[in-house]
Order: sequence, then C-alpha cells, then structure tokens
Amino acid sequence: MSVDADDLVKVGPASEFDDGDAEIIEVGRAEVGVVRADGEFYAIRNQCPHDGGPVCKGNVQKELVGEFTGTGQRVEQQYSDTDIISCPWHGWSFELETGIHIGDDRIQVPTYEVVVEDEIVYVHTGD
Amino acid sequence: MIDVESETVVDCDWHYQDSFKEVAEYMPEPWRTKYNDSFWEDSGVTQALSSFFPTSTGDRQNYGKVLREHSNYPDAPEDPERVTEGMDFLDVDISVQISHLILAMGGVTADDERVQAFTKGYIEYMLDQVLDPDAGIYGLAPMPYGDVEASLDILERVEDEEAYVGACFVTAGASPPLGNRKYDPIYERCEQLDMPVVYHTGGSGLDEYVRAGYQEMIETHTLGFLESNMSQIVSVACQGVPEKYPDLDIVFMESGVTYIPGLVSRLDEEYLKRPEEAPLLDTRPSEYITDFYFGTQPLEVSARNDLLDLCFDMIGTDRLLYASDYPHWDFDSPSIINELPMLDDDDRRAILGGNAIEVFGV
Repeated sequence: MSVDADDLVKVGPASEFDDGDAEIIEVGRAEVGVVRADGEFYAIRNQCPHDGGPVCKGNVQKELVGEFTGTGQRVEQQYSDTDIISCPWHGWSFELETGIHIGDDRIQVPTYEVVVEDEIVYVHTGD
Repeated sequence: MIDVESETVVDCDWHYQDSFKEVAEYMPEPWRTKYNDSFWEDSGVTQALSSFFPTSTGDRQNYGKVLREHSNYPDAPEDPERVTEGMDFLDVDISVQISHLILAMGGVTADDERVQAFTKGYIEYMLDQVLDPDAGIYGLAPMPYGDVEASLDILERVEDEEAYVGACFVTAGASPPLGNRKYDPIYERCEQLDMPVVYHTGGSGLDEYVRAGYQEMIETHTLGFLESNMSQIVSVACQGVPEKYPDLDIVFMESGVTYIPGLVSRLDEEYLKRPEEAPLLDTRPSEYITDFYFGTQPLEVSARNDLLDLCFDMIGTDRLLYASDYPHWDFDSPSIINELPMLDDDDRRAILGGNAIEVFGV
C-alpha cells in the first residue's frame, strides 16, 4: 500500500515489539496505542469511550466466545482467532482490528492504519 | 411394676390441640385485633396463601381492610361461575387463569411429587370445571419445572387443549434459576408448540424467599416480588434463552413496570464490562429483555408520570399486557391503564387487549 510520507507518524523498529507490546504515540492531538498481536500491528485510540481509561495499557487476549450446541447442553466456550484489547480500568474490550466493542457493535474506538516499511512501524494519520 | 394410678406420673410431651383463633383472644394488642380481623381462622392459614405461623409477615387482606365482592377469596375455594361474575365486574372479556395455590411452590425444595401431583390435578380440574374458551376463560399450565419430565408430560397433555394458552413458571424459589440449561427441554417444547412462557412472580408472605428477618408484609411484598422476577430475568437473559429459542414468547408477570429500567440499566453496565460471561448474547441484555412482554400489575400509578412514561417507552407499549391479578389484594382494574395520561387510545387498546390476543392467540 502506498501512502504519503507526510501522513505517517514514525513509531519505531518492528523488531522491538513482541506480541502484546504496546507503544503510545501522538497522532495529531490524539493518543494512539500501537499494539502487536499474533505478529500483526494495530493502532487504536488510547481512550476508552466508557470512562476515558487508557485502553492500550490493557491486556491483549483472544476473545472468548460461546456456542449453543443443543437443548440441555452446556454452552461450549473457546478462544476465537479475534485479538482483543481490554481497558485496564473496567475491562471494556475491543477488537484490535476494528475497534468495535465485543459486546455491542455500536460502540467503537477509532483505529488507524499501520504501515511497516523497511522494518519500521508507522501509523497513518488518516488525514 | 408400680400402680400408676397411685403414683405421680409426669408426661413430658403432650400436644394440646389449640387453635390460633382461640389463642388470639388472649394475645396482646394490636395482635388480638389484627388476628380477629384477618382471614387466618382457626388454623392460622387460609386460601390467602398466608399464615400466622411460622413464616408469614402479614395478612394479605390487611387485617380486614381488603374485601372481595365478586369472589370467595380468601374465605373459601372459588365457585367456577364466580369467574364470570368477576370478569363482568372488571369489564374483562377474556381472562387467562393461573393457579392461586401454585404460587407457593417455590417453598417446596424437596425432590418429591407434591408439585407434580398438584399441577397434574389442577390441569384436569380446570379443564373440567372452570376453563371455557367460548366464555373467554383460558388458562396457563403450571410447570413443575423441578421435574423436567413431568413438565413435558403436562405440555403433552395440554398441547391440543384450546383452553390452555401458555406455560407458567413461578419465579419464586426456582433453583437453579430459570436460565439454566436444565430447563431447555421445556423451552424447546414451548417454542415448538408456539406456547408462550409466562414467568409469574411470588415471594411474599413466606418471608425467607428473599432473606430472613423482615417484620412486615409491606417489606416482603415490596421486595419479594421484585427479587423473584429480577433474578429470573437476569438468568434467562444472560444464559441466552432468547438466543437458544428465538421464537419463544417470554412474559413476566406481576411486579409493575418501574423495576425494569433500573434492572436493565445495571445489567447492561455489567455486560459491557464482562460480555464474555454472557457468550450467547449478540448485544446488550436490555435489547433482549425489552423484547419480553410484561404484565402491568400492580402498576405504580402513584409514581411520577414522567417516570411511568419513561418505563412504557423503554419497554414499549407493544410489550405491555394488562393484568388484573383479581381477586388478590392488590389487583388493578382496566381503568388503571385507561386513565394514564401519556397513552393514546391505540396504546390503551393494545395494552388492555391487543397485545395479549397476539401473544396468547386468544
């Protein structure tokens, strides 16, 4: 993907991130967390829409989902492939890829495009 | 061997068959008057599902204040023809009858056959003596849900009976709560039969439904009904009954309406913080709960109009069902709905009849 360098904010070398690591940067006037999960980079606003908590300082996990398998059966629960991040203040949790709250898709934290070029991580400002 | 006739003998355990009514004459006031004005009679217990000993906080008829002109309640069992008399008094055209005595089943915790036996007998008695669809008198089949097989037997018995239009779950005392997968087969069958599930609260008069120690019925009746309904609403919603059985109509009865906004608001707050604990839900619990139907009685007409307006708006006037609860002590007449200033006439017609006709197919 080709992006204008003026629209990129440099984060740092990709090699300095392990899965679950987050780096907080400024994008315009917004605090944004750059997070690595399963080798992929995501960028998400570091402000929980619930109470303003620092979402990106929370844990990165897989979403626990459940399935109804039949009358009288216990709900089968398993971790899905969806990476989520949880605000450490109250646990509001969001899909890293979309910023959508895992319990209510009407709630969404802004996300940003992440670009890795020459092993350097950038966040696209969206401008 | 001694000659007992000439000896002194002490019997340490003799049971004098006293009666509460006789003893009441010797009770201190105000209980002497309260008892004499109550409906407890000799045995201290009547049709009113309340008793002086051991677990009642009060006489439902409020010590002689509440009287019923069009019912035998609480003095004696009802005469079937008096149902029509009561319906005429209330200007009710169709009624859905539910057992009065079954409301106390929540107090039965033993794995015995009392509830099953009662409900099976009740089904036949009502069909034989009381229910009459041609006269607008329908019934709900009580579910002895502690025994799922017995509940399914009852559904099989009534499935072709026009007079039975729903399955009734008494919410008080249900343990595990009614969202548990144990009850799935009942819900599945009700959905297949297009038979609504009507949860009917209870929980007063028997103090320890909520917790021990309250002293007056104003306390237990206020709290018990709410607790019993709220606990099952939370369980049914969080365990995903509406997701498992999406075509099942769910009705909650007899706790008014003002508790709903508070309950769903608190539950939604919890859900947004820990949605993975309700994994079958696609969205907030309130979205499911406001798809349930709610009986309006006892409507909190003394509340601020704007609060009632908010409650009706949150629940939806297409989800509210007029219920009288007659002949119980806190019944509502249709005028309770008809005189609400915030409703238009279409809403009044829907709540007083249209919604119920749709849900119950009467």
